[in-house]
Amino acid sequence: MTTASADRDPVMILLEAAASGGAGWPQLYPGSRPFGYFCSYWPEELILSLGREPLRLLPPAAAGVPARLPAYCCLPARACLAAGEAKEYDFLAGAGFAHTCDTIQCLAGIWPHRHTFMFVPPVTMDSPEAGTYFKAELERLWRRLAETAGVQSDAHQLQRAVVLMNRIRSLAGQLDELRPQLPSPLVAALMRAGQLMPRAAYAASLEAALPALAVKADGVGERRRLLISGSILENDGLYVMLEELGARVVADDTCTGYRHFAGLVNERAEPLAGIAARYAARPPCPCRHQYLEARLDYLLALARRRSAEGVVLVVRKYCDPHAWDAAAAGDRLREAGVPVLVLEMETSTPGGQERTRLQAFLECL
Amino acid sequence: MAYYLGVDIGSLTTKVALIDQGGMLLARAVRRSGYHGRETALQLVDELLREKGLMAGQIAGTVATGYGRVTFPADREVSEISCQARGMVHLFPGARTVIDIGGQDSKAIRVLPGGRVADFAMNDKCAAGTGRFLEVMAQALEVTVAELGALAAGAKGRCPISSVCTVFAESEVISHLAQDTPREDIVAGVCAAVASRVTSLAGRVGPEPEVAFTGGVARNRGVVHALETELGRPLLVPADPEVTAALGAALVARSLTGGS
Amino acid sequence: MAKERRYLPLRSTRYLGRTMQRYYLLTRYQRLWGRPLKRPLAWVTSGAPVEILRALRIDPVYPENYGAICGARRVAPELCRAAEAAGYSPDLCSYARAGIGAILRPDLAPMGGLPRPDLLVTCNNICGTVLKWYEALARRFNVPLFILDTPFVTGELKQHTVDYVLEQLRGLVGGLERLTGRRLKPADLQKCISLSNEAVRLWGEIRNLCRHRPSPLNTPDLFVHMAPIVVLRGTAGAVAYYRRLYDEVKERVRAGQAAVAGERYRLLWDNIAIWYQLFRFYHLFSERGACFVTDTYTGGWAAGLAPGDPLESLARTYTAIFLNRSVDFRVRQMVDLIRDYEVDGFVMHSNRSCKPYSLVQEEIRRRVMNETGVPGLLVEADMTDARVYAEEPVRNRVQAFLETLEMTV
Repeated sequence: MTTASADRDPVMILLEAAASGGAGWPQLYPGSRPFGYFCSYWPEELILSLGREPLRLLPPAAAGVPARLPAYCCLPARACLAAGEAKEYDFLAGAGFAHTCDTIQCLAGIWPHRHTFMFVPPVTMDSPEAGTYFKAELERLWRRLAETAGVQSDAHQLQRAVVLMNRIRSLAGQLDELRPQLPSPLVAALMRAGQLMPRAAYAASLEAALPALAVKADGVGERRRLLISGSILENDGLYVMLEELGARVVADDTCTGYRHFAGLVNERAEPLAGIAARYAARPPCPCRHQYLEARLDYLLALARRRSAEGVVLVVRKYCDPHAWDAAAAGDRLREAGVPVLVLEMETSTPGGQERTRLQAFLECL
Repeated sequence: MAYYLGVDIGSLTTKVALIDQGGMLLARAVRRSGYHGRETALQLVDELLREKGLMAGQIAGTVATGYGRVTFPADREVSEISCQARGMVHLFPGARTVIDIGGQDSKAIRVLPGGRVADFAMNDKCAAGTGRFLEVMAQALEVTVAELGALAAGAKGRCPISSVCTVFAESEVISHLAQDTPREDIVAGVCAAVASRVTSLAGRVGPEPEVAFTGGVARNRGVVHALETELGRPLLVPADPEVTAALGAALVARSLTGGS
Repeated sequence: MAKERRYLPLRSTRYLGRTMQRYYLLTRYQRLWGRPLKRPLAWVTSGAPVEILRALRIDPVYPENYGAICGARRVAPELCRAAEAAGYSPDLCSYARAGIGAILRPDLAPMGGLPRPDLLVTCNNICGTVLKWYEALARRFNVPLFILDTPFVTGELKQHTVDYVLEQLRGLVGGLERLTGRRLKPADLQKCISLSNEAVRLWGEIRNLCRHRPSPLNTPDLFVHMAPIVVLRGTAGAVAYYRRLYDEVKERVRAGQAAVAGERYRLLWDNIAIWYQLFRFYHLFSERGACFVTDTYTGGWAAGLAPGDPLESLARTYTAIFLNRSVDFRVRQMVDLIRDYEVDGFVMHSNRSCKPYSLVQEEIRRRVMNETGVPGLLVEADMTDARVYAEEPVRNRVQAFLETLEMTV
């Protein structure tokens, strides 16, 4: 498992995985058929416990235009569907959708793969009945996944998967602590790699890379300290531009960034209940409801904890949940004296307009 | 005596402003540049200096702004939002809100007394509410953009243009023409459509009086009038709206090098 | 020569006007008469279990219905603009934007806007938007927000899902009891459920009458006359209204009267109405003898509550509504309607405001066309925001579609 990391720079291994965007899996990791999934509410542990590797499906850069989704649907969904229709995901053993937004619900319904699974976590996370339901839904999913894979679901394997994922989350947490001192695109890529490569190899490489990264950490310097919040960022373009403009992402609340890793599963709990409990306690995505101000409280506390001078709320065009929260979070943060920029982006590669906005925002700070 | 240059390389035109230590605008130049913004800008600077009998060494600072700002060899590049705010407050010290409608985008900026930006909003990725929208509509109406202002002034009514999409709005204009709606009334409708989009943008920054209006589209009397109607107040409009961002850039250059 | 009249108006429309006027008048002054009677006012989503509220004497108000009114009165664009200026993206649901705009600009809003709520009840069986919308309302009004989470039904409705919703309903009852200081009396709930069921049954019967050739109603009639089944669900007023409407429609069937004179094509409509074009748009069809004999949208209010434990039947019914169901379910539903109503073609409104309804339409269109051989047209518009409606392209498509029908029927 860890032979590769013995003779190669672990950071390079991770960056290679991040750059592959997932589509390069068959070339990078031949011999394994990963299971593709959307949304960070998909329980990777269940896939691992059945002997498969989970692969987060991110929109490929040069995707076509799918006929089955209208133009007013977000680009991540359209680009993934186009790639799916072009048979670019045929190397997957299956595809999993965790119900989050209306668009994911629809994408799951038209996804072109024989083995497509939809799993519906509760939206309101704070009640006992939600916990009971969540666990039952996980049990059902696990059973169906095992049946399709033709293997027995095994509590011992699940426990091992929980331990591995917890290790990854702890390592990602250490990386996140170093974030203010490291170049932002580097941290973003290392986090993304954790969703795009075999998990044990990721854990080994990240563990090996961390000491060197800690040494490299150089402080924020004159850079403007920013908090970035948003949904999917499938490449580092925004982070690169922010560094160019003299900013540093000191805190991250993106769905493909630290939010994906936040929180641990209680290893002493029954595994499915533990997995459900982790999701319920994790910093929520706009599609979940813990209590009314949970997400805004979290963002404000995160901004303060990391001494962010400003917050960039990234809204992917046609992403309703984030657009809604951008209005509310914008008001709340500004009231608290934290400057906010709502940045609408169609792709995750910023262009001239985004540059102007970001630069003007930084000039205002 | 030290001089400062502001260079604004926009999507369609390049603008250059030259000021002296006192912030006085000595010379300005505007030229359509298309894709050759950098070359045009270098040329314009050269011509300006020659015209004023200045040597390059006498320029104490240059700031570039606009879409092409990163391509130009300046001391510093600053976003057009900050430059526009600075330039407009220099011209109108009482201005607290600046509306800028350029070729490809429109902006609403709330400014602080010294010309610093308090908040801003830009149009989304769509041409409605920009100069490009007016160009497309002018083409459909078979008039030049410059004629739109005079036409709007002669309108008896205002024919509503409801589509937000430029392509759909164009087909609306064409069908109004087909129904023999007076050209003037359609133009008034087009101007009102731009004004309503931009007013909504201004709403996002919480506009405070006085409101100043600049950018190439501020030359269009029809849009000025429609915007004044929507906002319910007279607007401060500079005599030379194309170069206010370049002027602001020159002013930023002056403060960067300590000359104030 | 006078233009031939192809559209037959309903007499019941007068009673509808009176019924709705009365409802909105009472609603408007509810703050005056409701407070002394300790009747709280709730803003609720169209798929909320209103029977529980009514049984506890909570008066419901429907922002979605109000959004449709803003659309039909063509003030939605102005109201949407007000919301957009406050930071709400123009890509969000136009009911929500118009509703928030009406709070910000009561001077532009029909009836001066809706009265301020004492509580909010949202149920996500229709979309995820209603969660975010009601969160925004809860912040604005600073009143309690009750959320009923009805998980999306991927295939069949599972017992653990029913149990989850049932538990939440019990919690909702408890919360509302505390808020009102009243106990929910089983008899009161049963009475509301019975009234609900009776109105729903009548509504279903009225829709069924359109199986006749020629159809006694055109779908725009259903759009207009659905208002009471939405806002008066669970009341005697709704039952009385639909009895009257049923009688009139039945009479039409007996007399062989057609909603669209010279009915040539029978069409199926999918998605919410284009409220600001209610007559102009559908006229494009009726002038060529095309009648919409059924639709998927107003059918959403034709599902009755199963007998048995009232809360469990509420849990099942409200979770199983069609917008909370899979693509397979929705294909099946359309195929059945096409068969039952002898439909010649279907028109789908690709509604920018309603993603869960619209994003899967192209897939459904293909599958339904494959299964039935009936042609389907997709038209892009918005339910209330007229700014995205493009008259000419729509007219062209409709014309081309009707020409296709001419050749196939």
